[in-house]
Amino acid sequence: MALRRDDWLDVARKVDWTYRYIDEREAFPESVSGTPWLPQQAWKDWNEVYRTTYREYVRNQRAKDDAVMGARSALSKVGILEQLDPGWMQLVKFHQGAVALIEYAAVMAEQRMARFGRDSAWRTMAALGALDEIRHTQIPLLMGHDMLPFDGNFDWTHKAYHTNEWVIIAARHLFDDMFLAANAVDLAVQLNFVFETGFTNLQFMAMAAMADGASHHLFEKALASIQTDEARHAQIGHPVLRTLIENGATEHAQYLVDKMWWRCWRLFLALTGSSMDYLVPLSARRRSFKEFMNEWVIEQFTKNLAEFSLARPWFWDLLMEELEYAHHSFQLGLYSYRTTLWFDVAMPDEQERRWLSEKYESWNQIYAPIWDTLERRWQHDGEAGTLGYALPALCNLCQLPTVFVRPGKNTACTRKVGERRYLFCSEPCRWIFDKEVPRFASHKSVVDRIVAGVAPVKLTDLHEWMGLEAPIETGKDLRRGLDKWRLEPVPKV
Amino acid sequence: MIVYLFGYMSDDFVGRVLVAPTEQTVGRLAEQLVSWGWNPERRDRYRVMNEAGTVLDPALTIAQAGLSNGDIFTVERG
Repeated sequence: MALRRDDWLDVARKVDWTYRYIDEREAFPESVSGTPWLPQQAWKDWNEVYRTTYREYVRNQRAKDDAVMGARSALSKVGILEQLDPGWMQLVKFHQGAVALIEYAAVMAEQRMARFGRDSAWRTMAALGALDEIRHTQIPLLMGHDMLPFDGNFDWTHKAYHTNEWVIIAARHLFDDMFLAANAVDLAVQLNFVFETGFTNLQFMAMAAMADGASHHLFEKALASIQTDEARHAQIGHPVLRTLIENGATEHAQYLVDKMWWRCWRLFLALTGSSMDYLVPLSARRRSFKEFMNEWVIEQFTKNLAEFSLARPWFWDLLMEELEYAHHSFQLGLYSYRTTLWFDVAMPDEQERRWLSEKYESWNQIYAPIWDTLERRWQHDGEAGTLGYALPALCNLCQLPTVFVRPGKNTACTRKVGERRYLFCSEPCRWIFDKEVPRFASHKSVVDRIVAGVAPVKLTDLHEWMGLEAPIETGKDLRRGLDKWRLEPVPKV
Repeated sequence: MIVYLFGYMSDDFVGRVLVAPTEQTVGRLAEQLVSWGWNPERRDRYRVMNEAGTVLDPALTIAQAGLSNGDIFTVERG
């Protein structure tokens, strides 16, 4: 008679044994397994709710892949891509470039936990997580490839992380910190607990709802399918965090949560905030970015923190203030420097402005006048009058332009370490830097590289350095396109 | 000596990198920032401050005002 699942599952999942030939510390070095280093005894109760077996995993994943591939097959026959909203296409291009290969980097993160996680059930879950992340890489790469006939810039789905494009440098800086250069304990808290439990609902579930509204059903299906995997392997974070707290490492746990919360906020306002409120067609906007953040992230995360008796991050008030403004400021930055992006950027039209004013109390007062100025410049000077020419000052931690919180209130600040002065967009970014100076100090922002002569100062050369072939690949105004002069060859002496 | 500074205009949305010789005046530096910004046509009086919030005399040179590589300055109109 076959054993029932629960009769054998723990024999397969809980296979930690006593080492005779090497010390436990040698098998799980603190530098890779994590701090504080605790003996296996401290981790023995590690558990999570899914307790998935490999057989179940394969069966479930096959069904999920069948569903996504079925949608791809069905929808490829009706010319659905040609009918998608142009703004939505840019959103997908932005998403694919920023997300696809990060999923592949996450394979390595999960594999690190699969080897150096301190309990075998954790390692089992992480091994399945690594397989998840391979899938999460392959699906967007496939979709991006399918979209190439409609827009050649979809090759940025694969290309983006092989370039020096500034948005990508910012994302790479975050993900290196979050998981590629993190030990198993830190990355479980940072990746699984904060990023995946706290934020990915926003990018995958909220965006899936909007994809439905935009009639991009393959994208909707793929996002929702990916998020079901994320929801499972995100569970790694909870028992790791619990073990840390039970063993007196609450301060370290709180730091990891606070740090990564802020860093994720910066990424999501840039990627998701600007996309949701400026690229999604009005008819598909279910809620504003702020509303999604409040409902899907803030509320849920507050409950998670309470579960572990952790405090809200110390910068909570600033975060709440930024919810109203920060991504609108960032959108202006994207628009002004759009020629350094691989996707097009929208100037809100009249209807969109009304919507933004309804959703954000002060949008009309603070942001509408700047868009008015840009509109006038289009009228009088054409495209050239609407581009930013001076280099934007970039934060040495998040690597984003220092546009926060809003016009009239900039929170930029500096810190001198040795002979070098570092610039930060905000106190939380400076605080993170101060906490781990040796980790961050040697990194150079794009501006630092230009000043040091490592990157070119001339815009046309900078495009090339960023991997952008101008003007074919460089971003433009979503609705107006390029002025004709941009298509003419650059005169040579 | 040439230095690079980060300038913030009170009615603008982004900080900008400015490169200037240290013997240039603070007043000229402010005009330089305004010229790069979104309202170059508006020629008001300016108040220039360093990161600590100290108001800088526009007649001082950048060096005399204590600004050096990587420093922040803010320009307020009026």
